[in-house]
Amino acid sequence: MIHTINQNIYLPRPAIIKELIVENSQIKTFDLSFVDEEYNKTFTYAPGQFMMVSIPHCGEAPISFSSTPSRPGTLSLSVRKAGTLTNAMHELTEGAFIGLRGPYGTPFSMDALKGKNLLFVAGGIGLAPLRSVINYCMDNEKDFREITILYGSRLPSDLAFTADLDLWQKRPDTTCLLTVDQAEPGWNGHTGVVTTLFDKITVDPSSTVALVCGPPLMIRFVLAELSRMGIQDEDIITTLERHMKCGVGICRHCHMDNKLVCVDGPVFNRAELRNLEVAELLT
Amino acid sequence: MRSKDGKNNNMTDKFILKKDHLVSFLRRLKKEYHLVAPVKNIQGDTMFTLVDSVDEVEFDLVNQAVTSIKPFLFPQQETLFTYETSANGDYRFDSVCNSQPTVYFGVHSCDLSAVLYMDVTFSLTARDPYYLEKRKNAVLISVGCNEPSENCFCNAAKTGPFLEYGFDLQLTDLGNRFFVDVGRATGQEIVSKWQHFFAPAEEEDVKLQYQTYLEARGKFTRQVHMDQAIKRLKSGKVPESIWSELSLRCQDCSGCAYICPTCTCFSISDRKLSEHEGERLRSWDACTFSGFTRMAGDHNPVDHRTQAIRQRFLHKMLYDVQKHNRPSCIGCGRCVGICFGGVDIIRFIDLVTN
Ligand SMILES: Cc1cc2nc3c(=O)[nH]c(=O)nc-3n(C[C@H](O)[C@H](O)[C@H](O)COP(=O)(O)OP(=O)(O)OC[C@H]3O[C@@H](n4cnc5c(N)ncnc54)[C@H](O)[C@@H]3O)c2cc1C
Ligand code: SF4
Ligand code: SF4
Repeated sequence: MIHTINQNIYLPRPAIIKELIVENSQIKTFDLSFVDEEYNKTFTYAPGQFMMVSIPHCGEAPISFSSTPSRPGTLSLSVRKAGTLTNAMHELTEGAFIGLRGPYGTPFSMDALKGKNLLFVAGGIGLAPLRSVINYCMDNEKDFREITILYGSRLPSDLAFTADLDLWQKRPDTTCLLTVDQAEPGWNGHTGVVTTLFDKITVDPSSTVALVCGPPLMIRFVLAELSRMGIQDEDIITTLERHMKCGVGICRHCHMDNKLVCVDGPVFNRAELRNLEVAELLT
Repeated sequence: MRSKDGKNNNMTDKFILKKDHLVSFLRRLKKEYHLVAPVKNIQGDTMFTLVDSVDEVEFDLVNQAVTSIKPFLFPQQETLFTYETSANGDYRFDSVCNSQPTVYFGVHSCDLSAVLYMDVTFSLTARDPYYLEKRKNAVLISVGCNEPSENCFCNAAKTGPFLEYGFDLQLTDLGNRFFVDVGRATGQEIVSKWQHFFAPAEEEDVKLQYQTYLEARGKFTRQVHMDQAIKRLKSGKVPESIWSELSLRCQDCSGCAYICPTCTCFSISDRKLSEHEGERLRSWDACTFSGFTRMAGDHNPVDHRTQAIRQRFLHKMLYDVQKHNRPSCIGCGRCVGICFGGVDIIRFIDLVTN
């Protein structure tokens, strides 16, 4: 037996699914709380961090917080069906137990965003970690200037987090534009990849920080576009996905040159990525 | 410890253990510890083995063991937890860790250096309780190499053939007797506890030990330009074509990483034992496997056709130098013997320095 059992970094803690929100056919949001009430009170995290999620017989997967720590007592993970574990997780119902360990990873530096215009660009499930930041900013609105959100999905029926999108679109100080790759009957909105929304906004490159998350190809095009608009490398921030097993910088599955995405990231600014072999940025 | 001129400053940490007494000494040790030592098996291979009876095995302190002691501290597969679920949704994990006080006897200098490196790997960014528990229970008795093997280059890696620190006890073969350096506190305790086996070293012994060390240093057959390779890697002057050239020859077997005393990458997975029970396992993995970085939907950020061995060599020879100021190849030469594609670290160093 390990004497220091509470210090076993690999030990998942049981958590219960309090509420389940179906975002679309592929994505569900799980509102969770730890079974241990005391632990719930002390548990904290920051936007951009992630948890290692255990599902019985399926091992573990890294999932970002989609909730904001500015709303104490909420801990949400939004999960897209991608394979074994994520499919099994989608089978679970309210009241079911999962295992959680974390929080892990270097978060977005919220202090560095203060006083800035914020431009969020997300694709698909990529809105999950950015939702954490966006809602954090909404809860602390005096700290930030204008917020612009560009969100793209494949089909209109794939748009996730619609409840949040509605709220954001209603805010006077916020611009929230949506696009789909392919229209469906009933869709009156914009059609085209997310970069086509850039024509509809004006950006002051010197006072804007851009936060980007989405599929690799999207990241590549959006980052190139943002640089073209004149935004500094330090002000272009993205969060990367890699295969991960330990989450704490030992197993090395998430290696990216001399960095490990789990501890050195997953949040990186473009300057940090400049001299690395980053799949998302290779053309 | 040895001083530069071979003169002896502190006689209380230098002893002589007669070879005739070795087996009785190990017998005593075995009463209080598990004993792992390099033993010749029936095929004639030297393997680190958990010794049952010291009288029934043939110890081999000279030839390099086929594998290092890595598998004892970081097993190829180990159970981290057992878990249980129940119909009412409960989900519980119980930690599993079986570690016993163990003496690792006859560890060559390079392999001991590898343990010191693993100590860092498993405690730097997070404390890995499974490794550290076994490590806490480990007593390391090393042996200097009078006769380096054919592929050895610990001289270039600066991890041998003899050590200055890191061991509990270090033995040097002086013919009919062992010279014993005392290193860490547990080594001192062992010598004090079984002092009748240890006679204080004489001035002559110290001189002979130093002589042995100097001679051993002259016996390396391989010229491996490690420092020069590191310098070139740091300067970024290594052509990208090197990676595809070497990757083409890689057969995706990862034998090099498994045999390597400092490769510690792993995977974690669940094994279902029944509807409501299972265990969480950790097993060796390697960056040289194409599946190592593959993500859901078959997306792979590493192109293994051209980059299969890039991380392996750069992790050892550049990233660890940037991070810890020294490479993590300890010069044991094992990957040289094991790779049928010839994609070993010496070939890499040669390519880089040519
Ligand atoms: C920092 C981080 C944050 C993430 N946040 C989210 C999120 O908020 N929502 C979401 O839906 N997904 C997120 N992902 C992706 C998610 O982890 C993968 O979709 C998931 O691991 C797939 O596991 P699976 O068993 O369903 O798929 P399978 O294809 O069956 O996976 C097999 C194994 O490959 C590994 N693996 C496969 N894909 C990935 C991947 N993309 N990342 C890491 N490991 C992978 C897993 O270890 C898994 O055990 C995140 C990934 C990272 C690295
Ligand atoms: S890279 Fe090769 S020579 Fe270096 S420590 Fe590993 S197995 Fe030994
Ligand atoms: S060389 Fe590769 S397998 Fe070995 S420790 Fe480094 S990343 Fe892991």
